[in-house]
Amino acid sequence: MIGGKIAFASGMLVALAGGWLAFPRILYQTRLQPVNFSHKVHAEKAGTKCEDCHSFRDDGTYAGIPTLDKCSGCHAAAMGTTVAEKNFIDQYVTPNREPQWLSYAQQPENVYFSHIAHVKLGHVKCEQCHGNEGGAATLRPYQRDPISGYSRDIWGRPVSPIGLRTEGGMRMDDCVDCHRRQGLEYSCMGCHK
Amino acid sequence: MTTTRRNLLKFVGGGAAGALLTPAPWRLITDTALWSENWPGIPRPARGEIRARFTHCTLCPAGCAVRARCVNGQPVSLTGVKPHPISHGALCPWGIAGHHLPYHPARVRQGPVKEALAAVARAMDQRSAGERVAVLDLRPGRTVSWTYRRAMAAIENGLYLAPRQPAYSIDLAAAETVVSFGAPLFDGWGTPGNVFAARGNFRLVQIEPVESRTAALADMWLPIRPGTETAMAAALGGETTIAEAARLTGVGEEAIGAVKEAAENGPAVVLAADPSSPLMSLNAKLRALGRTVVARREAPLPEAWKKAAPVTEMAAAPDGAIRVLLIDESLPGGYVPWQEIEPKLAANAVVVVFTSTTEGYARHARYVLPSPVYPEAAEDIGPAIDTVGEVFRIAAPLLAPVVPVVNPGEFVARIAGLPQSDPLRERADAIHQAGRGALLGYADGKSTPAKEVTADNFWKTLNQGGCWMDDTGKKAAPGKLEFIAAGEPPHDELPLMVVAAGGRRGGLAPPLMSKLERESNLRMAANRVALSPADARSNGIENGGRCLLETACGRLSVVATIDAGVPAGVVEVAAGPRIADLCGASPRARVVRA
Repeated sequence: MIGGKIAFASGMLVALAGGWLAFPRILYQTRLQPVNFSHKVHAEKAGTKCEDCHSFRDDGTYAGIPTLDKCSGCHAAAMGTTVAEKNFIDQYVTPNREPQWLSYAQQPENVYFSHIAHVKLGHVKCEQCHGNEGGAATLRPYQRDPISGYSRDIWGRPVSPIGLRTEGGMRMDDCVDCHRRQGLEYSCMGCHK
Repeated sequence: MTTTRRNLLKFVGGGAAGALLTPAPWRLITDTALWSENWPGIPRPARGEIRARFTHCTLCPAGCAVRARCVNGQPVSLTGVKPHPISHGALCPWGIAGHHLPYHPARVRQGPVKEALAAVARAMDQRSAGERVAVLDLRPGRTVSWTYRRAMAAIENGLYLAPRQPAYSIDLAAAETVVSFGAPLFDGWGTPGNVFAARGNFRLVQIEPVESRTAALADMWLPIRPGTETAMAAALGGETTIAEAARLTGVGEEAIGAVKEAAENGPAVVLAADPSSPLMSLNAKLRALGRTVVARREAPLPEAWKKAAPVTEMAAAPDGAIRVLLIDESLPGGYVPWQEIEPKLAANAVVVVFTSTTEGYARHARYVLPSPVYPEAAEDIGPAIDTVGEVFRIAAPLLAPVVPVVNPGEFVARIAGLPQSDPLRERADAIHQAGRGALLGYADGKSTPAKEVTADNFWKTLNQGGCWMDDTGKKAAPGKLEFIAAGEPPHDELPLMVVAAGGRRGGLAPPLMSKLERESNLRMAANRVALSPADARSNGIENGGRCLLETACGRLSVVATIDAGVPAGVVEVAAGPRIADLCGASPRARVVRA
């Protein structure tokens, strides 16, 4: 009788540990960015601001991750002595090959988000949603849910806080929470046009 | 503890129970749902450069300015253009989802073009002396309408047919009182943005038997007895007493007196559901002509185009004389009931319809040719009923036709032997040469006098979604207003008056919006009618029961909805070509149990 209870409790404990500790780790595929880019170096040494690279187009649309043209503007030749820069020039700038960046913030097809409405009109700071990417010395690994195909940063309630930054957020719940806190309108059709 | 089969099962049971207390199964369910959305074959907008492009909506004559968000050249969402002085940044539900239309599952996707051309050529050669070739243009006032008129002038015995267009425009901004006899002011009557921009300045009195959406939003709704609108108009015009009107219409004397006083005191305008209704003559009595009812103005034309066939109404066409009839139903517009067309056709008449839907004349034509739909076609939009100044705007295509289509203007020009040209460009050049008005570019929101722009830049801006406007001319009273008499009086066999719910739009409705509207019961389905409980009871009809809608022209099998909001003596139907064909000019019917 007691043996049966122990078996049941053991099974439960194994499932709980698996579900809460192992599952979040195995749920996401981890991939490295193609270039070891340092936002910190660019911000501190070159004095670059977010919008210098992540700019708006003339018509107000957001250009997102800069293309190689933007990088080549400064890095046509090496500006420093780091290995990372040399590799970047050799592998991408010289052969004119576009780096295949993995976008943490890429929203699904059914989501409409306007950067200009938030940044220019709403005066929302980049860090508020993207976290302190601008101060990071390296790019953190990109984590993707292979079933849904979405980045860990934009989809699903946090299964477990392990490995996940706590500030900001780009999930639907984060958007709704922020709008609710500030007394702003939020409705399905606002984003899911 | 020993490892027994029982303990193993308990271990598994504990594991299952424990798993339910973790996020794993729940997360896998939602993830699997998302995974199923990304299966191959499910259409997804392309990734790519995001750009804004501008155009004008052609789904109704309002021609609202549109800003399209395009991803990799594909329009993925449409919004209004705020600086536009007429549409004020508004779009109706159809306009918002207009970019779905090219992919509509019910779209006409192919047609016998060569056979149609050969049949038309043969019929034109073989026709006898009195037989005619005619074009029926359901949306007159466009540049392609002038192509049709020129083509019909070039063909011997050519006839240009079009539904009657009002010779006036309504200046809502100048009105303080709007008396509407069933005009769907807030439901597709004019330019939505213009109506709502002017809404704060006028008081709306809606006179109609049913509580339509416009009636629900009016300042005053007078639920009149069906068919007594003329008596109400006579009282408002001072031809009969208020007491007499109250007796006939069922509306209180006090309410009629208040409306009469308001209409007489301030700048007022009278609107009718049918712009050709004799009810519109009340405007003359209220001194509205030249103030709120003004002459309709058309943008300048090339001089050579003025030698064109005149506009003829279907009723004026000789009976049995049309050997070739080409119907342009490519855009939703006025619908001429088939029972009015049929007597005009000769024996062995060739009827060709250019359309995107099988609902309208495609049911009657010998050749059905697929036409471009919005936003595939480059064409201009004639002035709307509430556009006071001259205006010229082009619906610049946002994407190439997704099925092989026939351009109706080119087809007609070809059979008439007109020289190949670009009529839109010729018209734009004529407007530019007139040197009047200003050109509004939406991308930069700037308005530039037309005379300060080169002809090429004028054309380029129009094709980028710009709009030419000239509202500097003096407002003039319209010429003699002509009206069509009302239908035949009621008789005992057809006791119910047919009231169409919503404006008659025709054409394809964007699938998303039509689904939402039907599911939320905002728009009546085509096979439904609504009856009062009293009329349903007297005919033994149950809610949801199958019944027959019978008119002088025929019968239609429908499903009945019993609605206490529908007054006795009225049957409410969904607007559309089938109902138009069934009712014709006489909106009387009866509903009997099937």
